[in-house]
Amino acid sequence: MKTLLIISHPSILESSSQQFLLSAVPQTEQVTVNHLEAAYPDGKIDVEREQQLLKDNDRVIFQFPFYWYSSPAFLKQWQDEVLTEGFAHGGAQGELAGKEFGLIFMLGVHEREYQAGGRELYTISELTKPFQAMAHKTGMVYLKPLTVFQFAYMTDEEKMDLFIEYQRMLTNKNDDSLASKEKWIVNQLRLLKSADIDEAGENIINHAVELIEENRMNINELTKVIEEMY
Amino acid sequence: MLEERNEWMVKELEQLFEQVGFDEKALIKAAQTVILEQDKRIWQMEGELDGTLWSPKNWYD
Repeated sequence: MKTLLIISHPSILESSSQQFLLSAVPQTEQVTVNHLEAAYPDGKIDVEREQQLLKDNDRVIFQFPFYWYSSPAFLKQWQDEVLTEGFAHGGAQGELAGKEFGLIFMLGVHEREYQAGGRELYTISELTKPFQAMAHKTGMVYLKPLTVFQFAYMTDEEKMDLFIEYQRMLTNKNDDSLASKEKWIVNQLRLLKSADIDEAGENIINHAVELIEENRMNINELTKVIEEMY
Repeated sequence: MLEERNEWMVKELEQLFEQVGFDEKALIKAAQTVILEQDKRIWQMEGELDGTLWSPKNWYD
């Protein structure tokens, strides 16, 4: 699976959350990062290039700070210019049909405020309706968004969880099951290379992989036995 | 209570966690979480199995 990560942020170098996420982007050909403001400093979007990038990838992610309940203006401009009739919609199926589409965005307000009775009143699902409608119109599967609330107040542990969730959103298939998480973690553990990990550390990693796989076999067998009992 | 091998593995990973950088820590923490979740599922399913086997409604089948 190939993922196109489209980032829109007018001052990305000054954003600690964006810099953190950039450091978490897996170094693999599977993920293409396209920071719009860096690619088009003059504001002139190369529509053909953007459409080709979309064609070349299976999952499209918009990453941005939540400005006035939406994306920065340049991402809206990108939508207006790139998602043209005939390419993204209209007539027969467009070029995006069947692809996956997801949002990753940062908010400065606490999560609990995004609900009826909260200071922001509306839920994230309500506020992101235009993006959902865009995915619907273009035939893309809308993924559950990854929302980062108040990054500046996150603990190291919370940032570690975010680091992994982010990587999974970019590279794992759209499946939140424990089995899918296990498979992804096992793959990552197998790929893990670090100067900090000595031979003893490698043994621990290998044991962890074996144990996760054995536990999975155990879970599958128990599931089967329980199913057969009813 | 954690199954012995799962408990041991989580502790081993904890030691490794202390030796490595942020990126590796994140992955090790995620591996621990997965093992703990697996342990919980196994424990719950074994409990369900025991409960079903001992249920009086199955004694007369």
